[in-house]
Amino acid sequence: MKRVGLRAAAPAILAAVALTATACSSASSSGSASSSSSSSASAGPIIIGVPVPLSGEYASAGVDILHGAQLAASNINAAGGVLGRKIEVVGQDDACLASTGSQAAQKLISQGIVAAAGGYCSTAAFPELEAFHRAGIPYVMDASTNPELTEQGFAQAFRTIGRDDEQGPIAASYITGYLHATRVAVGNDNSTYAKGLAVATIAALQKDGATVVFNNALTPGQSDYTSFLTKVAQSKPQVFYYTGYYPEFGLLLKQAKQLGLKFTMMGGDANNDPTLLKTAGTAANGAMMTTAPLAQFLSSATAYVSAYTAKYGTGPGPYSSYEYDAVGVVAQAIKDAGSTTPSKITAALKTISYNGITGDFHFDGVGDRQPVNYIVIIVQNDQFAAFKKFDNTTSQWVNVNS
Amino acid sequence: MSAFLQYVVNGLTSGAFLALVALGYTMIYGVIRLINFAHGDVLMVGSFIGYEVAVTLVAQHWPVAVIVLLALLAGMAFTGGLGMVIERVAYQPLLNASRLAILISALGVSLALEQGVELIFGAGYSAYPNILPTAGFTFAGARASYVQVGMFGLSLLLMGGLYLFVNRTMAGTAMRALAMDRDAAALMGINVPRTILLTFMLGSVLAGASGVMQGMYYTEINFFMGFLLGLRAFTAAVLGGIGNIPGAMVAGLLIGLIGSFSDGYISSEWSDAIIFAVLIAVLVFKPTGLFGERVAERV
Repeated sequence: MKRVGLRAAAPAILAAVALTATACSSASSSGSASSSSSSSASAGPIIIGVPVPLSGEYASAGVDILHGAQLAASNINAAGGVLGRKIEVVGQDDACLASTGSQAAQKLISQGIVAAAGGYCSTAAFPELEAFHRAGIPYVMDASTNPELTEQGFAQAFRTIGRDDEQGPIAASYITGYLHATRVAVGNDNSTYAKGLAVATIAALQKDGATVVFNNALTPGQSDYTSFLTKVAQSKPQVFYYTGYYPEFGLLLKQAKQLGLKFTMMGGDANNDPTLLKTAGTAANGAMMTTAPLAQFLSSATAYVSAYTAKYGTGPGPYSSYEYDAVGVVAQAIKDAGSTTPSKITAALKTISYNGITGDFHFDGVGDRQPVNYIVIIVQNDQFAAFKKFDNTTSQWVNVNS
Repeated sequence: MSAFLQYVVNGLTSGAFLALVALGYTMIYGVIRLINFAHGDVLMVGSFIGYEVAVTLVAQHWPVAVIVLLALLAGMAFTGGLGMVIERVAYQPLLNASRLAILISALGVSLALEQGVELIFGAGYSAYPNILPTAGFTFAGARASYVQVGMFGLSLLLMGGLYLFVNRTMAGTAMRALAMDRDAAALMGINVPRTILLTFMLGSVLAGASGVMQGMYYTEINFFMGFLLGLRAFTAAVLGGIGNIPGAMVAGLLIGLIGSFSDGYISSEWSDAIIFAVLIAVLVFKPTGLFGERVAERV
């Protein structure tokens, strides 16, 4: 994984360096444009900064996100740009590290960006957000799900992805409202993320009137969970919701089938990985997961997926569609504001209503995406398939692409 | 009651895999007084060899029984060879050096194997093709799959074979003699280096078999799998009285059962804590293990 990541990163780093070089040459012109007069249509491009990991373990995810931003910019420019000017995205490596993230944000700010759209790891997103906040530049995050990011009260914080603590209530709503289960078992793997999701889910389940009959953690990294599952089965649940990661969930699915257990198996959004399908084989069929919708599950993103695949030769990855919308929503905000002044863009983002490829959304008081866009996917014929989403107008669970 | 029986079935299955690994620890300790910390990683390498064979043959639509057999044989053959190479390269030159030197060497081999496999196969998980049927039967409320029974039977068969080899053959007798006293054995005309090599080969073959069987059964493998398995098996070897072959077999099953019961009656989070608490308790209160070291400690 590391090896592939580094290999994939090499061209990306070159690309980033090249982009930075071009951006530097144009930074002075755009800087003077914004300071002199924002209403006059200057010839220079409007620059949007994209801090993402372009080196290290998560480089391939960062490259996907940068590609999404570039595709968004080229589509906006093909349609005439914004305020008569072109949009330009500038990638900057944050290496998924707090220290590098801080530097990346500073570099982008010094290049005269009017807004930032990007980010991957929450770890790096914290210092980036802090730096953008101090510079008064809005930051629309596409993949960082840590609830604390927007809870700090920075006016410049926005995100196009859901947050970890929104997933629990969605899972509970599906379990009680669609599966009509009253006895639910919840398992986690003791990681911060999985524990947090388990706590949020249990609280929501109890509010929805279900009984949590089992709540315990397993030790990740083992091969045999048959006794753990036997213990779960003793509590006679109708649904078992596992909030940990895919290596263990794959084994749980396989071993539950082998033990002949009949309750419904559900997982959180860390289980949306093809490895799970290989591990569990046919035993994965019928298993469900709550997740932010991948681009390929959304009819509104079909054109994006084919354009991305045609241009870059690979699938769009899990987050690039959220980055596409992040750049799109910034461009829309610049149009609405009629200005490239960061504070005016921030104000426009606060009141914006945007039709993105990942769905229609606006931002709430702290900058989080509303409505929440988690969906339920299911494994069918050894493949992940979109399944149900919550329809806010009818308060019903309906098919995702209906 | 049915849950209890289910925990027994689950525990015996994982215990049988552990026992095969524990045997390697105990045999190698018997002949050269070395805790072979690379043993778990030898298992991991065997598992990856079996994975390669299984993936290749499944792609060519070979019959399942043939795939299982060939993967098992390939895994065992490769680890057998690997065990001998490790002994020659990393342990043989240090046999007369201090204990610490050879222990460090074992840790080095362990890391080299882990990192090597990580470089070749990546840090992520690999999954054996799901070719074994999950069908099974229910007995008194507990469920066992036919594959599970087969794996357990095969483990017992391998252990039985080893027991006969050690007790009924000339080479096995040489191994036992070596375990009692290396110098006296040499004086009796036993080829000491060759017998040590044979011991490493046998121990590694069993680890390889366990690795492929676990891969087939659980499907999910990665470069780090040998670490925890190795520690658990080492605990079993100590519990059985290190150097004691039947002791390692029984203790392997026992550790499997302890793990299963603590998963079931206490919590999965605590299983490793409990298993390693057993290790500490044995070392403190009965250092010779439950069944005692069969070979008298040399003075």
